[in-house]
Amino acid sequence: MTYRFSTRQTLAHGLLILGAIIVLLPFYVMISTSFKSPAEIATGTGGVFGSQALFPDPTCLALGGNETECLVRPVRDNYSQAFTAAPLWRYLLNGVIVTASIFVLQTLIAVPAAYALAKLKFWGRDAAFALVLFCLLIPVHAIALPLYLMLAKLGLTNSYAALILPWIVSAFGIFLMRQFFMTVPDDLIDAARMDGMGEFAIIWRVMLPTAIPALLAFAIFSVVAHWNDYFWPRIVITGDRSLFTPPLGLREFKGDLGGDVYGPMMASATIIAVPLVVAFLLAQRRFIDGITLSGMK
Amino acid sequence: MSDLASLTKSVPNQQRSVRPEHPERRQARAGMVLFAPALVLLILILIVPVGVAALLSLTDYTLGRPSIDWVGLRNYIDIFTGSSYRKMIVATVLYVALVVPASVFLGLGAALLIRSLNVGQSFYKTVYFLPVMASLLAMAIVWEFALHPTLGIVNRTLAMGCGTPLELWSWFARSCIDGFPLWLGDRDYALYTLAFIGIWQSFGFNMVLYLAGLTSVPNDLYGAASMDGVKRGWERFRLITWPMLGPTTVFVVTITMIRSFQVFDTVEALTHGGPAKSTYVMIYAIYEKGIAQNLVGLGAAITILFLAFVMLISVAQRRFVERKVHYQ
Repeated sequence: MTYRFSTRQTLAHGLLILGAIIVLLPFYVMISTSFKSPAEIATGTGGVFGSQALFPDPTCLALGGNETECLVRPVRDNYSQAFTAAPLWRYLLNGVIVTASIFVLQTLIAVPAAYALAKLKFWGRDAAFALVLFCLLIPVHAIALPLYLMLAKLGLTNSYAALILPWIVSAFGIFLMRQFFMTVPDDLIDAARMDGMGEFAIIWRVMLPTAIPALLAFAIFSVVAHWNDYFWPRIVITGDRSLFTPPLGLREFKGDLGGDVYGPMMASATIIAVPLVVAFLLAQRRFIDGITLSGMK
Repeated sequence: MSDLASLTKSVPNQQRSVRPEHPERRQARAGMVLFAPALVLLILILIVPVGVAALLSLTDYTLGRPSIDWVGLRNYIDIFTGSSYRKMIVATVLYVALVVPASVFLGLGAALLIRSLNVGQSFYKTVYFLPVMASLLAMAIVWEFALHPTLGIVNRTLAMGCGTPLELWSWFARSCIDGFPLWLGDRDYALYTLAFIGIWQSFGFNMVLYLAGLTSVPNDLYGAASMDGVKRGWERFRLITWPMLGPTTVFVVTITMIRSFQVFDTVEALTHGGPAKSTYVMIYAIYEKGIAQNLVGLGAAITILFLAFVMLISVAQRRFVERKVHYQ
């Protein structure tokens, strides 16, 4: 048997720590850089969190301020610039609006459809399920061009609708909830019918409460995917900053500014990555289940 | 909506009414009504665009111009004869061929190592899963900075190795004299660098799938094997673990393939398909041709080709699962 400090265990830890260093490297670079002054970034000094020595802010100097008035602490300067150089709060709010709307609409559409597929006998049900299975094969990113053209024809590009509409029907969500509803006993539904509940009430008051774990997992899957999505917002939002989602805002930061703004840029990246990473650290098991959902088939 | 409301309300009345509607017929109607929104949207959002792309790929359509001409297969011929499109196929296939095996085997290796630990399992699991959670665009921008030729931590760290025995490695010695690679700015390294970021981002996902797969391998199998004299770790892996993980592997390979085919964020943000088209992958080509340059016909033809690739992979997986992966 292997003991806690056997050679084999030590070797395994050694390999895994090496991997962990590589995996964590960019996170370290991101956070550490967001704490440093431009001079420290340029020379690669300052250790992990920078020396935090005060330095004169160049924009303040350019506006005619004197040296002592313009002294700033690097970490404060980087994070405040992240919010002032671009409307970052607006981007974060847009991210919340878009991901929340997508999830709510996906649920409203997928849950009744899944219930119908799992528990109601209707003409064409097998064909309907086959259609869902077929649609699982089509990645939405792959058909971005025709979707974009259709939205452009409707005059909907550069709107929240463009960010949300293509995602409101999730073949995967329907499939997942259907598989879950199949395991709910028919007796439960029959009893509810006996009590005089309509099908619509059965879905939301009987089926959905039993499916909370599956729905939560799907919520995590959906929110993570859409908070981090860059491709689709990049296509349908052109120019109108008030509609930017967090990744678009960060990309603009990189595109706009020259070489000496790494500090504020890394601060923005940290702010954008933090909500999901913290949520993940707090509820790891749920997140891992949610994101690997597609492995449940 | 009013349909659904009346459906809900009408039920209690029916129970009391003298001539109740046939319950099966009522169920059938409810089923159709409840599935209808999903049906309409699946068709409009997923099926119709495929058809639209197929039709447009045979035209010279551009957004904003009223006329539209049929050009037959010319867009497809352009793709298969033009040198930049040949580079596109090469870059895409090479990227997938680099990312898939590395990401799958690193995921498997990490899962096996983590499972063998007595302490710290959840620590490593959390760390390796972090890149899956973090925004790929944000992390791509961080990697770009880490790989910056002069400011980046990677080349700075490598330069510290100069003058040490690492110089026995000829590549390293040469780099110490001529400078370390530009990574994303060098056509010989750019695609490999992007593939590295892709592997970094995705293998934690595969690790979690393999960890789940490993829990379903029954422990008695190892007991039985050790009775039969299979004691060495490698033999146990080859005879039991690997075959039992068959279904997981098929799934992991498929999903990694489909995802790496869709690489876009890192390409758009870091290389724009360059240098010298060395990272000109398909989804980026669709974006550049079809949307940025408004050459819709060409973009649509690449879309159809791309869909064909993805469908082929999925269908192959379903076939494979049905035929081969039956170990139990």
